[in-house]
Amino acid sequence: MNAWLIAALALLPALLVCGVTCFFSAAIDGLVALELASTLSVVELMLLSEGTGRQPFIDLALVLAAMGLIGSVAFARLMEGGP
Amino acid sequence: MRTVITDVLLIGGGLLLLVCALGVLVMRGPYDKLHYASASGWGTLLVALAILVHESFSLIADKALATAALLAACGPALGHATARAARIRERGEWNPSHRGEPAEREK
Repeated sequence: MNAWLIAALALLPALLVCGVTCFFSAAIDGLVALELASTLSVVELMLLSEGTGRQPFIDLALVLAAMGLIGSVAFARLMEGGP
Repeated sequence: MRTVITDVLLIGGGLLLLVCALGVLVMRGPYDKLHYASASGWGTLLVALAILVHESFSLIADKALATAALLAACGPALGHATARAARIRERGEWNPSHRGEPAEREK
């Protein structure tokens, strides 16, 4: 296990924290946690790609970054009027 | 020397992301949480720079840098959209002080 994989493992509790915030907070707080979880997932994929030397993971990270941004903006627009 | 710089950037980026997650957990209200969530783009940039220093310009490093640049560039717009949604949910509209006609507002 190299430093990149150790860093990926160390960031997993942060993803768990985002999940806890999504479950137990108000909807708009959950949206903020979801945005952070999206960024953390991108970093996890970047670290996995570097740690294992497999290039498909970095493609996934790039696509997830773009989709996560679009999804978060769509959620934010929906939440302007929803409960 | 390159290893030291890589380790410093990687540890810095990881710690920044952990602090962001802790801030999102601890802070009350969406506005306070947003300060921490918005800073996570810089943690991503530090990790991407660590990969770039470690690998030089390779396929993985280039794409990691592009990903981090995308997140760092679009992060403020995302933060604004989220803050706007929170404010509209809280007050009913984006700017409640501008309800009247322009002439009434000047009075």
